[in-house]
Amino acid sequence: MSTREVISSGNDLAARAAVDAGCMFFGGYPLTPSSEVMHTISDLLPKIGGTAIQMEDEIAGVAAAIGAGMAGVRTLTATSGPGISLKAENLGLAQMCEVPLVVVNVMRGGPSTGLPTRVSQGDVAQAKNPSHGDYKSITLCAGNLEECYTETVRAFNLADRFMQPVFVLLDETIGHMHAKAIIPTAEAVKEGIVPRKTFDGAPEDYKPYGVEQDQPAVLNPMYTGYRYHYTGLHHDADGFPTEEIETCRKLIDRLFKKVDDFTDEIELNEEYMIDDADILLVGYGSASLAIKEAVNTLRAEGIKVGMFRPITLWPSPEKRLYELGQKFDKVLSVELNQGQYLEEVQRSMGRLDIQKLTKTNGRPFSPADIIAKVKEVF
Amino acid sequence: MSKIVMRFTGVGGQGVLLAGEIFAAAKIKAGGFGVKTATYTSQVRGGATVVDIQLDDNEIFYPYAIDGEIDFMLSVADKSYQLFKNGVREGGTIVIEPNLVYPSDEDRKKWNIVEIPIITIAKEEVGNVITQSVVALAIANTYTKALDEQLLIDTMLSKVPAKVHEVNKVAYELGKKYALEAGATA
Repeated sequence: MSTREVISSGNDLAARAAVDAGCMFFGGYPLTPSSEVMHTISDLLPKIGGTAIQMEDEIAGVAAAIGAGMAGVRTLTATSGPGISLKAENLGLAQMCEVPLVVVNVMRGGPSTGLPTRVSQGDVAQAKNPSHGDYKSITLCAGNLEECYTETVRAFNLADRFMQPVFVLLDETIGHMHAKAIIPTAEAVKEGIVPRKTFDGAPEDYKPYGVEQDQPAVLNPMYTGYRYHYTGLHHDADGFPTEEIETCRKLIDRLFKKVDDFTDEIELNEEYMIDDADILLVGYGSASLAIKEAVNTLRAEGIKVGMFRPITLWPSPEKRLYELGQKFDKVLSVELNQGQYLEEVQRSMGRLDIQKLTKTNGRPFSPADIIAKVKEVF
Repeated sequence: MSKIVMRFTGVGGQGVLLAGEIFAAAKIKAGGFGVKTATYTSQVRGGATVVDIQLDDNEIFYPYAIDGEIDFMLSVADKSYQLFKNGVREGGTIVIEPNLVYPSDEDRKKWNIVEIPIITIAKEEVGNVITQSVVALAIANTYTKALDEQLLIDTMLSKVPAKVHEVNKVAYELGKKYALEAGATA
């Protein structure tokens, strides 16, 4: 793939990625530390005939973005954890109606207004289940500047493939850090765009939700001559409310199966120096920057450490984590929260003896924090 | 040069962020790696602000300066000077705005503390207080010799509007002059 070198910040790169991936609508509300996503995209979209709207609040921001998704265009909203809390109900609507949408969450300290300008990875559990009810989250997490771009692009393609919201988690460190990034050219991104499926038969034969049990809904853009109904209620093949027992069961089963049966299309991990390692560090997002530095320093001292970094957090790479749990006795989970992903690591590895390093004071890990912990517990 | 670590501190709204971006961009243009991170408070204006700049010939993973490894710090507010000075290695240089930053006698023993009235220079000699970040840029590069001067000036000019190019060139020259007078070696 042809690439280009840019000097930029994570938030700026996420916005540029959205535009290069064909996003034509942004609806949102500025929230630290995500605001630069909106700054950049509100500059770029009008120049190419797209639309960026600052709505009256977070709820209206995601509602507008979902509306654009219903109309058939690629659509983005961006915020931070407190904004996701407000958007939660509508994110559930998008899951239920199967409307593709990309949600960039630049994480900051919580709960509530928390530490607005400081870093956290406190929204990992929230990203799995922001809304009530049962559905499968697809959540990607950028671990460096390049991935702020590439994961946002991937999120748009996954949203159209699986017909549902896809989260891209950044955090304050990565969103605001400013450095060099090697990213794909806009042309290369455009070549990789796979638009959502549409139905082109006779309108009377169109059943948007009448699909195979492992497939997402086929939603033609609104106003193209195909009539159907959107509702947050359980619905039938045409989208109209129903309480018919089998239809209700099959709908929620399908929301799971359409993702569960194709996780190989979603899963992405980085494995750093684990082949000959004795100790495994598990971390993601900006924490992995400190982990990598710590791995290099510890190896220079003769301590064989490696890192496993899930880039797709949800669905989790449970099979790979299980294998790694069999291979490594010594596992340390490192995250900027109280252990939200640790629980997933424990579940996937089938073990409770995973060591943990956590931090929730709004400050990043330093490599020294990780080095000290490795020496303390192993 | 293998690695140079700098820290600029002030209070929100003073414009210390831009100097960091210019340094990082210039180093990258020169073929190396540069990273700028900024930390500010939820007060935004008036809160302590710190900008860390790492310039390296090798790839940089961890984006923040590590305490004890900072070679050069520049501070234009006492609040942030006190909060962030301990990241500077012993014997490192700290340039302060003497009208706004008050180091202790112990600080003066531990670090090479240099007084340059950065804000007064920008306000009265350049005639535009906003140029203080360019005065600071010049002082930092004159002390650290992190980058080729012309490359840094060209990068700086590419990031400011054309109508203020001349005033920023003046700001750079004045910053350099004061740094040399204060003891930086040419």
